[in-house]
Amino acid sequence: MPNFKLDDREIPFEPGETIIRAAQKAGIDIPHYCWHAGLSVAANCRMCLVELMPPPGRPAMLLDVLAWDKIKQEYLPQKKPKLVPSCQQAAADGMVVKSQTSEHVDVARASVQELLLLNHPVDCPICDQAGECRLQDYWLEHQGTKKRMRDEPVHKPKAVVFGPTIVYDAERCIVCTRCVRVSDELAKDPVLSVRERGNLNEIVVAPGRQLDHPYTLMTEYVCPVGALTSIDFRFKARVWFLRSRRTVCVGCATGCNSFSDFDPRDQKVYRYRPRENLAVNKFWMCDDGMLDYRRIHEGRVLEARVAGRPATVAAALATAAQLLVAAGPASTAVVLSAEHSNEDNFALLSLAKSLGFSDIYQSGRPAGQGDDILRHPDKNPNSAGVAALGKASGLKSFVELVEAIRAGKASTVIALGSATPTGSGAAALAEVRSLIAIATHEGAVVDRASVVLPASSWAEADGTFVNAKGMSQESERAIHPHGSSQPAFRLISELAALLGKPLGWKKLTELRAAMAPAAPRSVAPDSASLGAE
Amino acid sequence: MIKQTTYLSHSYGKPNSWTLSAYESAGGYRGVRKALALTREGVIEEAKKAHVRGRGGAGFDCGTKWSFMPKESKKPHYLVVNADEGEPGTFKDRSIMEMNPHSLIEGCIIGCYGIGAHACYIYVRDELHLSKARLWGAIREAKAKGYLGNNPFGKDYPVELYVHSGAGAYICGEETALLNSLEGRRGEPRLKPPFPAQYGAFGCPSTVNNVETLAIMASAFDMGCDEFSKLSELHPFNDGGARLFGVSGHVNRPGIYEAAVGLTLRELIYDLGGGVLQGRSILGVIPGGSSCPVHLPDELPTLPPDPRYDAYRGKSILDIPLGVDTFRSAGSMLGTCCAMVLSDAVDPVLALHNVMRFYRHESCGQCTPCREGCGWIERILNKVVEGKATIDELDRVHEIASNITGNTICAFGDGAAQPALAFIKRYRKHFEDYIVNGGKSQTRRLTV
Ligand SMILES: Cc1cc2nc3c(=O)[nH]c(=O)nc-3n(C[C@H](O)[C@H](O)[C@H](O)COP(=O)(O)O)c2cc1C
Ligand code: SF4
Ligand code: SF4
Ligand code: FES
Repeated sequence: MPNFKLDDREIPFEPGETIIRAAQKAGIDIPHYCWHAGLSVAANCRMCLVELMPPPGRPAMLLDVLAWDKIKQEYLPQKKPKLVPSCQQAAADGMVVKSQTSEHVDVARASVQELLLLNHPVDCPICDQAGECRLQDYWLEHQGTKKRMRDEPVHKPKAVVFGPTIVYDAERCIVCTRCVRVSDELAKDPVLSVRERGNLNEIVVAPGRQLDHPYTLMTEYVCPVGALTSIDFRFKARVWFLRSRRTVCVGCATGCNSFSDFDPRDQKVYRYRPRENLAVNKFWMCDDGMLDYRRIHEGRVLEARVAGRPATVAAALATAAQLLVAAGPASTAVVLSAEHSNEDNFALLSLAKSLGFSDIYQSGRPAGQGDDILRHPDKNPNSAGVAALGKASGLKSFVELVEAIRAGKASTVIALGSATPTGSGAAALAEVRSLIAIATHEGAVVDRASVVLPASSWAEADGTFVNAKGMSQESERAIHPHGSSQPAFRLISELAALLGKPLGWKKLTELRAAMAPAAPRSVAPDSASLGAE
Repeated sequence: MIKQTTYLSHSYGKPNSWTLSAYESAGGYRGVRKALALTREGVIEEAKKAHVRGRGGAGFDCGTKWSFMPKESKKPHYLVVNADEGEPGTFKDRSIMEMNPHSLIEGCIIGCYGIGAHACYIYVRDELHLSKARLWGAIREAKAKGYLGNNPFGKDYPVELYVHSGAGAYICGEETALLNSLEGRRGEPRLKPPFPAQYGAFGCPSTVNNVETLAIMASAFDMGCDEFSKLSELHPFNDGGARLFGVSGHVNRPGIYEAAVGLTLRELIYDLGGGVLQGRSILGVIPGGSSCPVHLPDELPTLPPDPRYDAYRGKSILDIPLGVDTFRSAGSMLGTCCAMVLSDAVDPVLALHNVMRFYRHESCGQCTPCREGCGWIERILNKVVEGKATIDELDRVHEIASNITGNTICAFGDGAAQPALAFIKRYRKHFEDYIVNGGKSQTRRLTV
């Protein structure tokens, strides 16, 4: 691989790669606002300027500038090298680049930083971006001086509602055009643009339109400052109180890699953020996925129920055990769920095997809208995982379950998951004698259940999900289980113990070890998929 | 040395000078016939010999620029004429379009043939309504004669010309912003590379040329390009031929004068421009549009050791021939070659204030240094003029301008920084007077 020298380090690069991207891959963050690895190059912020050393024997291109000599009281002509934006400049073999070691670069960056803050309201105390704002970070690293312009800054529109999800503050905007490029290039809906000129520039929504494509939250996500805020998140949390876990979005079968940002004090997830995975979601997530974190806290089943009445988990487990013993293998259907992780499904499958239950079905959420960007029409995170795990057991479809119920062949059902793929399927569940639901959310299944076992959501348990491409991805637990809920695999393991058929593992690692040979290779937990934090 | 010529200006001021018959009776449409008799490569080789340096401000050699166009490509090629003429103090292209539009048409046909284009867009600054009307008229006439269309002058090489109204911004004169604007996009300069010759109008290989660059090519081809180049005193600097020199401001006879390259500022101001108004002396002169530095009349530039400069050593900036390289080497810039003269009856502080208001207003606002820097300088100068600035603020100006220099996407940034640096360097005392004494010792006037 060819190399270039950045300050005192040798940086390898792929031909055609820019200096900034190669440096980023090598773990060096050249300061930047407008550049984003997932977007076209705009090179407008000029924060990433670096000094390129001329090839040996060739003079540097020098520009005439002035300095002021306070003592002599006169201007001194000075020369400075022409700097180049590292986000635009392609790396070349043997190139020598100075970033942190060039005094000219220092001056240029401090100046850009000062200029960006010149007309900025500096309202950090009421700004949601505070704590993760590049203006703040780079002020510390590259400026560190007080504001020298003492005049009234330029005023521009504030709290402009761009659409159902986004609010814009033009005074905080640095016109880096990242949001414009996200709409143009990711969402393929050129609904944002720049209007006016010079320091009156602002971002506007196309006349007659709203910012309402399926990827609006990515505009906020890429905004390096507090100009775009998400209506969902604004004024909800201070980011320095939040912690992050590497999770996988369960909104659809794409399995976008995400961060779940939660407050450890109240054990609430406040938002998702995309986590880079070039093989899956690149840098992005869709709005549905981004807002799907709300289901962690909404409509949850947090307590056990027996015959529609609140019960302890122990009592519910005991009732479930009795019902299963009474029914026996011939009339019991076991339903796996594409909403749940491999771990949960593997546990239920193991229970079924140990009890000799052989009628295994698959359930999940109904299909929805997809696109050719990220969104998959299968709105389940683990259809592929369930299909792979259940293959050897003759996994049957939900339609077949409905038929079996209607034919009186499945009078007892033990079902993982909260949703059914069709409304008529939910109605069929009302016809069974006993329905044991292991569910995270209220809904059609829980409504009809004789016994409800409260399962923890994806955010409250570690789990592995296999996306539509067959990639097995681990998701980390972010918060403690809410209410009396427990991870489904744990509830199932306790049920097995009550039935005198312990599953042979207690801890998650033991479960995964047990699952590894049983599960086809592609669904084995792949810790590499966790990516960088 | 004054060597007045009339290649472009022969028709200026004459009745119906813009018609095809007037143009042809003055010898028009001969150059293009000679060009079309050559091969495409032949045209480029010939064009290079003319050493016509781009008249739009950057001074790039025209024939060399044409040679950057791909020899063959799957996409169509375009010639785009920069008729946005927005540089303050510059009004030469307009005179061609209004009074001698056929010279541009002729140049466009040669250009199209040379770069392998069949279509040419003339992007005219919106306000120039008469220019647009005269160009359309000329195109109609030329088409009717068969000079444009499928077989210009009988040659099987179709050429069509279109006039396109500009979007009303100075920045749309920057060639890549112009291309964006032509395509219906926001008039913002593009990143380079790719250069227009690879990725220009509508993503196709394109050449952008100034009006005068193309118009003079017609005469060069008629005369023979080498011979044409030698008209110039600066032929040894590869700066050939004749060009339009403009002079405006406080001179007795402001206007456009055509002469062989080699003319000096002193000749332009005193001999052609009739000297400074009221017989006063020069406070400062800006050689070629407001983006160039201002010079004191007695300034002695340091020239490079190159022996070609020996003849000019020890001479004032007013006595160095106006040329692309000569002025660059003298620490100045030729720009559009339209000089602006300030008499000593006016106030340099107000002059810079005026210039910086323009740049603040016209910055497209992509680049942080230009967007915010021009605004900050303007604001400081507002305060200087109002007598409310401090010395500390005055000391910001060179710092801001130095940080704009070289750090932006397009040359607008440098063009805005240069006047700021040049004015405060030369007239610092005047600025200080505004701060310390409220400008009492200044004339506080911009007009005479
Ligand atoms: C801010 C800015 C404004 C410009 N305005 C004009 C203009 O109005 N007319 C023009 O011909 N060139 C203008 N130019 C120069 C063009 O970018 C370009 O160099 C020129 O059109 C090339 O033609 P030429 O090689 O024939 O000179 C401008 C450049 C800049 C940076
Ligand atoms: S709103 Fe944010 S992302 Fe968009 S241009 Fe402004 S600063 Fe950049
Ligand atoms: S230098 Fe100024 S005018 Fe040119 S692209 Fe940058 S902001 Fe726009
Ligand atoms: S990151 Fe903005 S110019 Fe390079």
